[in-house]
Amino acid sequence: MFRNQYDTDVTTWSPAGRLFQVEYAMEAVKQGSAAIGLRSKTHVVLGCVNKANSELSSHQKKIFKVDDHIGVAIAGLTADGRVLSRYMRNECINYNFTYESPLPVGRLVVQLADKAQVCTQRSWKRPYGVGLLVAGLDESGAHLYYNCPSGNYFEYQAFAIGSRSQAAKTYLERRFENLADSSRDDLVKDALMAIREALQGETLKSSICTVAVVGVGEPFHILDQETVQQMINAFEIVGEQEGPAAEPDAAAGQEAAAEQGGSTDEGVAPMDI
Amino acid sequence: MQFTASKQTENCLLGPESDSQRTLYPYVTGTSVVALKYKDGILMAADMGGSYGSTLRYKSVERMKPIGKHSLLGASGEISDFQEILKYLDELILYDNMWDDGNSLGPKEVHNYLTRVMYNRRNKFNPLWNSLVLGGVKRGEKYLGTVSMIGVNFEDNHVATGFGNHLARPILRQEWHENLSFEDGVKLLEKCMRVLLYRDRSAINKLQIAKITEEGVTISQPYSLKTYWEFSAFENPTQGAVGSW
Repeated sequence: MFRNQYDTDVTTWSPAGRLFQVEYAMEAVKQGSAAIGLRSKTHVVLGCVNKANSELSSHQKKIFKVDDHIGVAIAGLTADGRVLSRYMRNECINYNFTYESPLPVGRLVVQLADKAQVCTQRSWKRPYGVGLLVAGLDESGAHLYYNCPSGNYFEYQAFAIGSRSQAAKTYLERRFENLADSSRDDLVKDALMAIREALQGETLKSSICTVAVVGVGEPFHILDQETVQQMINAFEIVGEQEGPAAEPDAAAGQEAAAEQGGSTDEGVAPMDI
Repeated sequence: MQFTASKQTENCLLGPESDSQRTLYPYVTGTSVVALKYKDGILMAADMGGSYGSTLRYKSVERMKPIGKHSLLGASGEISDFQEILKYLDELILYDNMWDDGNSLGPKEVHNYLTRVMYNRRNKFNPLWNSLVLGGVKRGEKYLGTVSMIGVNFEDNHVATGFGNHLARPILRQEWHENLSFEDGVKLLEKCMRVLLYRDRSAINKLQIAKITEEGVTISQPYSLKTYWEFSAFENPTQGAVGSW
């Protein structure tokens, strides 16, 4: 991506018909740490890599609960992500107040996309620099959507965004055909494997990742660090038995709270099977 | 110094011209609506009268209308306000359909929307002068609720508005049970409507019964109930009454 004379303003087209500012905003998403999502017919799992800047600081929150039936994982400018999460929470609350019914996730993502589009067509605004993986339920089942800064949204069976997401995407491409009928636990396991791919060699442990689940009969919640570490350990043992690539199971670490407990992972014994 | 008494001093809550902008009394009104849950859905009955004060002026007023795919709305009270509500709901359903995404507003959602509308109007001292009955079936789940002009709302197995609360509900409390058949439900509603016909002076003998099930809404053609006026108590009703002639 090179600088050129058409990229100063979001409202300036290039001769080739591109809006460079919007494309630069999408670059910001690629710089953020990885977030992945996958779904079956009844459940959706979100996961993200959560590395703190230094040992002294806490994680940045990248997964937000929007409502009992909707959650979002972000990659990119996390501040923009926080603001959009607040918007989504407001929309859900208002809809629930008027109709006593959960806002269908399909409608929320359209509202979100329209909000992002506005920022691509006003000279005094800039596009949101964050990609959102929205996981939620509505009448037709479980859904996973990706909202980008351009104002587009797509529905996915599984997806990954952020830095080193290509490795995770490759893994998901191998697995996605079987996802629809996966059990909830298998889905979480696949999420952890995908996160591990995005870590590329680094040991997977619950202190550096976060996993959240939503499903039919299961409100959106972030899995606590111990649960995640246990799942990682379970895979680890299975991984050793299977042979090569001792993959650390992507532990869905929790944000902040996880960090304090994270330093004890050396002492965690493998789970007895 | 003020020597003339202004309207302002009598009515401090609102400005001088605002009275003409808000509902003070109803003009053309419908009387009771009665509804109950039965095996396949909801049955609702209402007569077709629109009274202008004590005159039974309009005799072909449809007081029950389908809303979207899943709901049926019956109204008593000011007919023009009912028409206004139908316009609001029309717009609501239109926007809901325009999403075209497999999701649709069910009876619970419509009921809550109406509750918000009625309550907010009441708070502005400009009520929609209606008592509404909202019934429907969505995905096998039956729903029956009511909202009053001040925003009081609740759901139940059988509901009624106006006089129906006093004359029909006691009958329903005795005789309603889960899984009524269609025929039994209609018989029960007719029993309630007959009592209302005898005792409510704004009732007329021309009613419709509406049914809503998973398949959809059917509103019957108008028909009348058989009545019997030869009870001996009706002959010479004031005989023995104190102070009569």
